[in-house]
Amino acid sequence: MILGLIKPDSGSVNVVCTKAEDDPVAVKRQVGYVPESPRLYDFLTGLEYLDFVGDIYGLDASEKKARIEEYLEAMELEGREGDMISSYSQGMKQKITLISAFLHKPKLLLLDEPLSSLDPRSARIVKDLLRKLTAQGITTIMSTHVLEIAQAMCDRIAIMYEGRLLALGNMKELRQKARLPGSDLEDIFLKLTGTEDVREVVEALLK
Amino acid sequence: MNWKTVLRLVSVDVKSGRLIRGQRLRRYRERRLFQYLLYGGACVLGIVIGLGAGTLYTAVPDPDLRTLFYEGARLLFLSFPIMVLIYSLIFTMMSQIQRMGVRSSIQLPYWLPITWEEHTLASTLAHLIGVPLASIILFGSAIATVSIYLEAVPLAILTIFALVASAFLASTTTEIFRVLQARLIGAVYKSSGRAAVWVRFLGSLLFLIAFYVAWFALTSGGGSIALIEMVASAQQAGWFVPYVWLGMALASFMNGLLAQTIIFSLASLLFILVLFYVAVKLNAKFGLYEPPAITVSRGAYVPKVGFLGRLGFSSLEAAVIRKDFKAFTRRRELMYVFIMPLVFILMPLMQYSGIYGTPVTPGSSRFLSAWILLAPGAIMAVMLGTIIIGEEGGSVWLFFSSPITARSLVKCKYAFVIIFSCIVTLVCGAIGILIARPSPDIAVVLLIESMLLIFALGAVSLGTGIKGADFTEVPRPRMVRPLTVLVYGLLCLVLALAIFSPLLLHAVAMEYIPLPVSLPKLDLYVAISISAVIALVVTFVFYKIALKNAEEFLIKAEI
Repeated sequence: MILGLIKPDSGSVNVVCTKAEDDPVAVKRQVGYVPESPRLYDFLTGLEYLDFVGDIYGLDASEKKARIEEYLEAMELEGREGDMISSYSQGMKQKITLISAFLHKPKLLLLDEPLSSLDPRSARIVKDLLRKLTAQGITTIMSTHVLEIAQAMCDRIAIMYEGRLLALGNMKELRQKARLPGSDLEDIFLKLTGTEDVREVVEALLK
Repeated sequence: MNWKTVLRLVSVDVKSGRLIRGQRLRRYRERRLFQYLLYGGACVLGIVIGLGAGTLYTAVPDPDLRTLFYEGARLLFLSFPIMVLIYSLIFTMMSQIQRMGVRSSIQLPYWLPITWEEHTLASTLAHLIGVPLASIILFGSAIATVSIYLEAVPLAILTIFALVASAFLASTTTEIFRVLQARLIGAVYKSSGRAAVWVRFLGSLLFLIAFYVAWFALTSGGGSIALIEMVASAQQAGWFVPYVWLGMALASFMNGLLAQTIIFSLASLLFILVLFYVAVKLNAKFGLYEPPAITVSRGAYVPKVGFLGRLGFSSLEAAVIRKDFKAFTRRRELMYVFIMPLVFILMPLMQYSGIYGTPVTPGSSRFLSAWILLAPGAIMAVMLGTIIIGEEGGSVWLFFSSPITARSLVKCKYAFVIIFSCIVTLVCGAIGILIARPSPDIAVVLLIESMLLIFALGAVSLGTGIKGADFTEVPRPRMVRPLTVLVYGLLCLVLALAIFSPLLLHAVAMEYIPLPVSLPKLDLYVAISISAVIALVVTFVFYKIALKNAEEFLIKAEI
């Protein structure tokens, strides 16, 4: 819906003052998107893929070259950028996907499990980068099942369960809603979703 | 060996067909009737053929003719093992080629309690599922039925055993070939360095051409009959080749040599066993295949300011065209696109080269030049247009999330189809002119017609390709829905005839094509002009339809 691909039953989504439904192409220009399990063009090299994405977003040649080189260096992909993506590990593919989302300096980032498969150094770089981008006014919407990451990185957290929004707010507000002062996001999630019967499940499995 | 594990592994392979058939995956229910329809149909057809042949045999009053019929049937039985071996080899190998694009490393035996013997046997049996198994059932049921009329039931039983053994032999050979080629190709790519892309391209091309030529040689014209005659005589001479031992066993049985029959049958079984254990050892050694890292570019990165930009394409459109060009030269499952025009040149050439005894006449020479100049480009436009969207596969998410408009999408995809098809027409046209030597005016007219067909059919098939795009990639890329291809394929044929009809009328009127009708003379320039107008109208209408389809496509994420 944010990218204008699915029409909402009611209401509308505005992205950087543009109604997604009215002008999806203008919205897509402002958005950097990382899907959960991205399929890249395996027959291209990492460099060719980023060059392709840069052209898709209309970056000029010098700007594109500078950004691609910066990101390749930061993500430690130098030396492998000329290899076909088919030979990349899952982590390397994730890095290429993340770079392609950041490349055109989007105003909104939509990230689905962005840190999956990343090595600790790259994960740290992405986390720090996201914090800096947020400080610069870039909105990041991230979906994750790793609640520690969500708690550590997000200013506002939405808890969704079976297609319903159960809670939305910062950690303090979520703790208040769950009536679990001092608890972490995992406990809050389990309490709000009514799935806190973990101990019984484990004991049943051990029988 | 745990047979249940083998059967489970085979059934997993059979179930992979669900994705190809494009069935609804949520709340999926297996329809067993359709699953076995192919085999049931083959069995029924085989029985009908057997009954027909048997009835014909008993209805023949002349004893000499009956003897001739009986000898013919024996000759056919004798050639069956080799025929089934060759056909099964071609089918199982082609099936492997189609799966090349998908990462086919089988890792399960490494972490599940499955032995390499079980894995190899399952893989070998799975190769036979589908057309090879249906062929065995078809031949087997026909042989069994007709043998009752011929009073040759023991021979039929031995022939059916030879059929099954031949198919298994072919499948085991394919399994060995599969593992070896994965290993060999990996080693070649590694040592080729930057040339690996071109080594892969040319290697795959040569391999596929060899297969298609073999296939057409066997299936077209008198190829099959020639093969039957050849097999029967050549088998005796090549008795030392293990692949003909099954046929030798049959020949020995027919001649009443029981000891030889047993020796050749046992030797065949031993050979299959040896091949199977070779396949097991190779799988254990090289089974876990990881694609080698192919380094395409090294050194400083310089963004391309392209030639396409100067032709009026935006950076986005040029990027998509460049990407598609790389896809068609680097993705092995797309390389069959290059094979088609070559096959379309080779096929008539084989037909008219005297291989099948077809005499070369001025008429056939004219047909040859028209065919080579018109068909490859037009067929390429139809093929490319139909798959150009579906070939994106799972990566299509990038199109859905990128700022690409329907207009740009259609423009760049259509341009790619046209550029590629025109190149094919020019290359094939040059070869066609060299081979068939048409007069210059005929060559020019045919080239113009070819271009008109490319523009019109490219637009029709692109609209089709967008509407019927299928992004299924496992177990093989599907790219477009079969029903859409069928319906729009017929439409393309009708439109191609409509575009070509003024020229056809001109050719009939000028008596280039001998028909027993007299038509009023139609000037060549008028004929070409009418043809061009029809092509332009078709192009315009279907380009608009493609645009509309693209708009719908971009607002409806399918995956």
